[in-house]
Amino acid sequence: MALFGRRNVLVAMLLFAAVAPAFLNAYYLFVANTILIYVLLSIGLNVLVGYAGQLAFANAAMFGIGAYGTGLLQVHFGWPFWLAFPLGALIATAVGLAISLPALRLSGLYLALSTLAFAQFTQWVFLNWESVTFGAGGFKTPAISFAPLPISKTLGLYYLSLILVMVLFALAQNLVRSRIGRAFVAVRDGEIAAQSLGIDLLRYKALAFGISGFYAGIAGGLYSAMLNFVSPEGYDLFQMVIQKSMIIVGGLGSIVGSVLGAGTLVFVLEALRKVKGVQEIAFGAILVGFILFMPGGIIGFLKGRVRGWEEPLHRARPVSRPPIVATSESREVRP
Amino acid sequence: MVLLTYLLLSGLTTGSLYALIALGIVVVNKATAVINFAHGELFMFSGFVAWMLHVQMGVPYLPSLLAAVAFGFLLGAMTDLVAFRPLKNANIMSIVLATIGIAFMLRGTARVIWGGKGDYLPFPPITSPEPVMIGEIMVIPQQLAVIAGAIVIMVCFAAFFRLTRAGKMMQATADNAKAATLAGIRVDRIYMLSFGTGAAIAGAAAALMAPLTLLYPDMGFAFFIKGFAAAVLGGLTSLPGAVLGGISIGVIEALAGGYLHSSFIEVSAFIVIMFVLVVRPTGLLGFAGPRRV
Repeated sequence: MALFGRRNVLVAMLLFAAVAPAFLNAYYLFVANTILIYVLLSIGLNVLVGYAGQLAFANAAMFGIGAYGTGLLQVHFGWPFWLAFPLGALIATAVGLAISLPALRLSGLYLALSTLAFAQFTQWVFLNWESVTFGAGGFKTPAISFAPLPISKTLGLYYLSLILVMVLFALAQNLVRSRIGRAFVAVRDGEIAAQSLGIDLLRYKALAFGISGFYAGIAGGLYSAMLNFVSPEGYDLFQMVIQKSMIIVGGLGSIVGSVLGAGTLVFVLEALRKVKGVQEIAFGAILVGFILFMPGGIIGFLKGRVRGWEEPLHRARPVSRPPIVATSESREVRP
Repeated sequence: MVLLTYLLLSGLTTGSLYALIALGIVVVNKATAVINFAHGELFMFSGFVAWMLHVQMGVPYLPSLLAAVAFGFLLGAMTDLVAFRPLKNANIMSIVLATIGIAFMLRGTARVIWGGKGDYLPFPPITSPEPVMIGEIMVIPQQLAVIAGAIVIMVCFAAFFRLTRAGKMMQATADNAKAATLAGIRVDRIYMLSFGTGAAIAGAAAALMAPLTLLYPDMGFAFFIKGFAAAVLGGLTSLPGAVLGGISIGVIEALAGGYLHSSFIEVSAFIVIMFVLVVRPTGLLGFAGPRRV
């Protein structure tokens, strides 16, 4: 096992994340928590886009639904966070499953556009259903407390996010190596071929949409609790572009790549926070640049150049062969 | 009755603009089987260029419109060079995401140059803003100017497609790119021409629309969705379908806004898109091609 191999780096990152609150100031803790939330979002999106190959644009909407669901259940019904949070995630999952129904009939461009229309529709509902969603101004969510534990809200939320990231990362990592993950890849690489192998398209597409909805819903609940505030602006098309950039930069079809992409781009986002126009230019340029010049993303680079980052499936090959290099030509990414 | 005619007229006006945007989307889609997601931003950007020339530099209206068309063509050709030509053999996902990247770069640039969120730039009307009464019906001359302008552009465009060599080569490429290559047509150039032409129509639409509403950096996407709804309704590969779809969307949303609630103007296009794509993906005038395996 190489020193800078995948496992060592991941363990180091986890250790750093675990002790980070001890020496980070409030702002950097906020940034770290944002990274954790975006890690969840991009893992979910990568399962849907990178593994199952469904080019959907509804993830920002499901993120919003998770945030609104969690927030509104607390505001309107006075439910505690611990009840509203899982239920908000479940609502987002249900919406994800519902969007998958048209996805069976549509693919490629048509799927992209119908989910885009759905995302704009959600945005419209957030803006115009004022009696429930409080319209364009948004609303404040009640402050949550980790009452029996002797920690502050920021710290508690950070560790809650970290635990959820660990659990959901492991879940996704195992999922994509399971029968389900292989079915996703089969659907991505050829629907007809997948069908003829006995893969139920409806079931697996719905599952992929449901999983990404669940991850986005969890992230949304955490995000609303972190900001104590929910407004439609945070869940618009630019949010979608941020998430898409993260999985492209990290590498499509890689769970670890999602983590790296989210980590990198949150810093870019924060560095440019002052001017929205510059943020948009930067993310547009990152998206175009990576698609054109580095389609494998960071993970593709690491797999090719750094020892110990080869995919587990590749590692089993005999030593005598030359190492498998993921060049830009071999665009397929294995789970 | 008065309300109805008023709504129909304003629906027809916005509808003819949507038809122009839809025409641009269809031209690109017919030739390349790709949707240019930056189309709305090309529209927005050309509109701002027309504004800059006309309002800031005092250039007369008609040259500003032509400049917007030319600028739109350049931007469209650039989109082809950056997002389509290098990725022609990659999967559709890369192309879609690259055009979205371009869209956001243009949107950010417009925001940096022409003001932040919420800044709406007014464009002086080209005709007198006083409404004219024709019998019982109140008509705003600007609306008639827009409709007339849209008709002129559509006629020019149809003539370009039918009568010029470039237009014929575009049709040939759209029909069968391989056969067109064999006949000596440089399809890469035709793709570029298609992207350019589509964006040029969008530029014309933007310059026509600017005096009617205000300009703002976020308007591109809203108009793209409307134009796309029109294109989908018309069948995505049919040019008459795009015009028909555009006018239908304009009238539908005007009626929904007038009789239901003004907020339905925004949402009717999304509902049309979702409904058409799920129920009849080939649209009104499109046809279902064979399923590619």
